[in-house]
Amino acid sequence: MIYLEDDQLEIHCPEVHDHARCSISFQRTLRIPDDGREYPLPPGLGDFPLRHLDDYAERLPEGRVRRGGVIMPMFQAEAMWLNFGGFSPYPFALKIATGKICAITGENWVNHLNTDPQDYIVLPDQPWLDGYCVEEGVIRQFVAMPLGEGYTVEEQLSGEAQHGGLQITAYPMKAEKFEEMMAGRHKEMSVDSMILHSPAEADMGLAPGGRMRQEIYEDDYGLDVWDQRHPARCFVTIANSTQWMAITGERPPIVPPTARHYTEAGLPWYDYYDADNEVVSGSEILKAVKSVAQIGKEKGETALPNNESVNGTRVVSIRDTRKRTVREYDDSEL
Amino acid sequence: MTHFGKHIRSRREDLRKQDKRFSLRQVAQRIEVEPAYLSKIERGDVPPPSEATTLKLARDLGEDPDVLLALAGKVSSDLQEIIRKRPKLFADLIRKMKEAPDHAILRIVREVRDGEW
Repeated sequence: MIYLEDDQLEIHCPEVHDHARCSISFQRTLRIPDDGREYPLPPGLGDFPLRHLDDYAERLPEGRVRRGGVIMPMFQAEAMWLNFGGFSPYPFALKIATGKICAITGENWVNHLNTDPQDYIVLPDQPWLDGYCVEEGVIRQFVAMPLGEGYTVEEQLSGEAQHGGLQITAYPMKAEKFEEMMAGRHKEMSVDSMILHSPAEADMGLAPGGRMRQEIYEDDYGLDVWDQRHPARCFVTIANSTQWMAITGERPPIVPPTARHYTEAGLPWYDYYDADNEVVSGSEILKAVKSVAQIGKEKGETALPNNESVNGTRVVSIRDTRKRTVREYDDSEL
Repeated sequence: MTHFGKHIRSRREDLRKQDKRFSLRQVAQRIEVEPAYLSKIERGDVPPPSEATTLKLARDLGEDPDVLLALAGKVSSDLQEIIRKRPKLFADLIRKMKEAPDHAILRIVREVRDGEW
């Protein structure tokens, strides 16, 4: 089951194991320049608000309501990353797609796990995901763009602007495998171990933005450990800020700072590296997808305002911690 | 020593083994009470502290606030407010759920509905 708590998706699978739980939040962030260079990890600027889609069913087309899930606001060309938290040691295999295209492999959505190539990430090993896995150790940032204009990964790979949004399925580890793993850990170490779219006129999808250094880790456990009989699924509908206000009556969060303003204010970027985990190779399919800036250039449009390159980033290395947030952004400082 | 005091001391001393910032003095400073008062709480010489101080302790020691309040014999003011607004409904509900297993109680939490996609 999935429920909402403090703008996070809380995933519990009590039918599998009492400890089978994890959480996902959608972090507001800077949009890194889409200029062909590779950037470190940008900060988290707080959670995007999430609401039950059903609460606004009367303001949404029937086809969107049928999908269920949650709804969240994003400005056009705004970036986002997924934060996997909860400090739960219970492993989950997590499939993530945008417009029903897998963000790890670039292949069409299927309701099961694959290992060749691996089309999921493993929690809690993977602390976050900032975008599409385009090369080994490199992602292209998730950037919100309107469906129907040709920017999204969905439109580039399927030729259609049908789904938009973001889709998630979580598979918990089988209970007996978890018990074996924990028993093994206690024996060895004797210590405790420390884890959706919009109406026809409101459809937003995700498109590939700038390049960022981020590793997607291989599944060390193997396909057999995942309990594929008990998936928890969620469709995240993305509404642009105007539509969000019309649908929910709430104001969206403020516009995030630009990468240049943030860097000039001396605020940190981040680097995370886990030498203990193997890394998946990037997707050739996703590597071939064009970025928002590339398509904008071809169309003669300024798809990404404030896209100038950034130099002199102050990078803070993060080791074995999930803390990547910065203090609340204050508009008056920049 | 009360169960509350015992629990606090045990948790704080476990944390102090890994991090000296969890000494009695430093924890007391962070939650804004006198060390002697915190010591008395841990020994059970005084009743558990106020809701506000218990919540600060929960945050500092990484404990669940509702669990710690329950150990202190309290119910958080936000829960009291919820019950006060619809007393009959929530009183009936809580009594009926008294013997229910955890997984049945979790089922009444509002799920994010999964649809067709």
